[in-house]
Amino acid sequence: MILDNPRVKEIIARRHLHMCLECGKCSASCPRYISGKQYSPRMLAHKLIAEPQDRAYIENSVWDCLTCGQCQERCPSGVEFVQLILDMRRELAASQGLMGYRAHDGALHSWMRIMTSPDLKQNRTQWLSPELKTRTRGETAYFVGCAPYFDVFFAGLGVRTLDIAKDSVRLLNRLGVEPVVLEQERCCGHDLLWSGDQDNFTELCRLNYQEFKAAGVREIVVSCPECHSVLSQYLPQVVQGCDLKVTLLIDLARRAAEQGLLDFTPLEGVVTYQDPCRLGRQAGCLEAPRELLGRIPGLELKEMANHGLGALCCGNNSFINCDAYSKRHQVERLRQGLATGAGLLVTACPKCMIHLTCAMRDPHQDGPLQMKVRDLASLLADHIR
Amino acid sequence: MGAINLLGIACNWSPFACYNAAGQAGMELPPSFRLMRVMCIGRINQALILRAFEYGADGVILLECFDEDCRYGPGPEVGHTNVERVRRLLHFLGIGQERLLEKAFAANEKEALVRALWEFSEQIEELGPNPAKPRQERVAS
Repeated sequence: MILDNPRVKEIIARRHLHMCLECGKCSASCPRYISGKQYSPRMLAHKLIAEPQDRAYIENSVWDCLTCGQCQERCPSGVEFVQLILDMRRELAASQGLMGYRAHDGALHSWMRIMTSPDLKQNRTQWLSPELKTRTRGETAYFVGCAPYFDVFFAGLGVRTLDIAKDSVRLLNRLGVEPVVLEQERCCGHDLLWSGDQDNFTELCRLNYQEFKAAGVREIVVSCPECHSVLSQYLPQVVQGCDLKVTLLIDLARRAAEQGLLDFTPLEGVVTYQDPCRLGRQAGCLEAPRELLGRIPGLELKEMANHGLGALCCGNNSFINCDAYSKRHQVERLRQGLATGAGLLVTACPKCMIHLTCAMRDPHQDGPLQMKVRDLASLLADHIR
Repeated sequence: MGAINLLGIACNWSPFACYNAAGQAGMELPPSFRLMRVMCIGRINQALILRAFEYGADGVILLECFDEDCRYGPGPEVGHTNVERVRRLLHFLGIGQERLLEKAFAANEKEALVRALWEFSEQIEELGPNPAKPRQERVAS
């Protein structure tokens, strides 16, 4: 019973839920709520504090959240709503086995759990070609993440996530870095963490840390915002004495561009930019992508109606609870993109790319939703002078 | 019982007719083989095949109808696409793509079906257990 559960009381206190004034700004800005779903962060806060006996409401709501952080951004009382959701998911998964409704029948979570096996000998670096200069040992590594797996699993969508990894290595080579690319790297575990599977998440962190240490890695460069969030924020929570430096590829590229080490060839046309939740609101990285785009001659960046800290989520997170409301929300986002007149939607997260491309394929929408989508790393790598 | 776990996923129509006929004829099957019957192999997606490996299967064989025999339309073609993709994922994971197989049968081919199961069983025995240790999910109540 949630009412008597001291761990839930502790979560409520730790995440400052008692500071809630019931002003409702969270729900008014929540993409789930706006899409018409019977989900409201404000109501969840109320239930947790005042009506904890309503288990059904609480248990559903905890899994309905996109964890995009919009509510937390707007909350005037400093309630850590996203962390509250994470803590509650861990609690409900551990105590009751709840895992949310998993999109794609949980295939992605399956391969992530398979990767917790210590004896696995993966063949995940076959995409490396001689023109991409990498090492097996060294101080700086590039973290590839799930890109090779997504590339196969989502082949039907035509989303080529592996290109992001190739283009990131090209960019790094151009910046004079020959990164370590690990053959036995595991998934960062983001989706296991955010679906409450703390044990398997911890195991992935531990195995990844071992691999980094064995290869002499001290700094990890990442292009995926979710990998960045996990490696910089959550891995040190579960690996004692973690001393890895985690750097975003776009921060590296921005610094190089500022020092005059990186120039770009022109791209004529209007583009718009989708802020990934883990990059924009959660890592505070809003300026670097825009500055880099601004350095491409001829490129005109037009912002969507909701952008920066107010950017709309791509509609799904950690591959759980994808539903008709996700779809409605994605269609709204694509319409915002099309309204800018841009011919290209740039994002910095492979999952934004997957989810928005998936939504474009609906033949029943009123009017076309098609937009070209590219990852920022790919766009930059293609325009290196 | 052998040390390996084999899972067969069979379409209800031609392959299951073969399986049933083989049973009635008293034909011997590999001891480590377990069968799951579905209405059509097109029902099986990438996730369900991966789940079998997550749960510790050492080999999975999809027993399906020939393309032109499908009762529903595109079932076997859906199966081919899924198998092709999951085989690539299994290769990445180091589990090995040879641990996933698909075979088509007509309704009167019980001997061919039994032979295919024995061949598959021998092949997996030779490979040994799946290197991915099973990690059962905690299932809701």
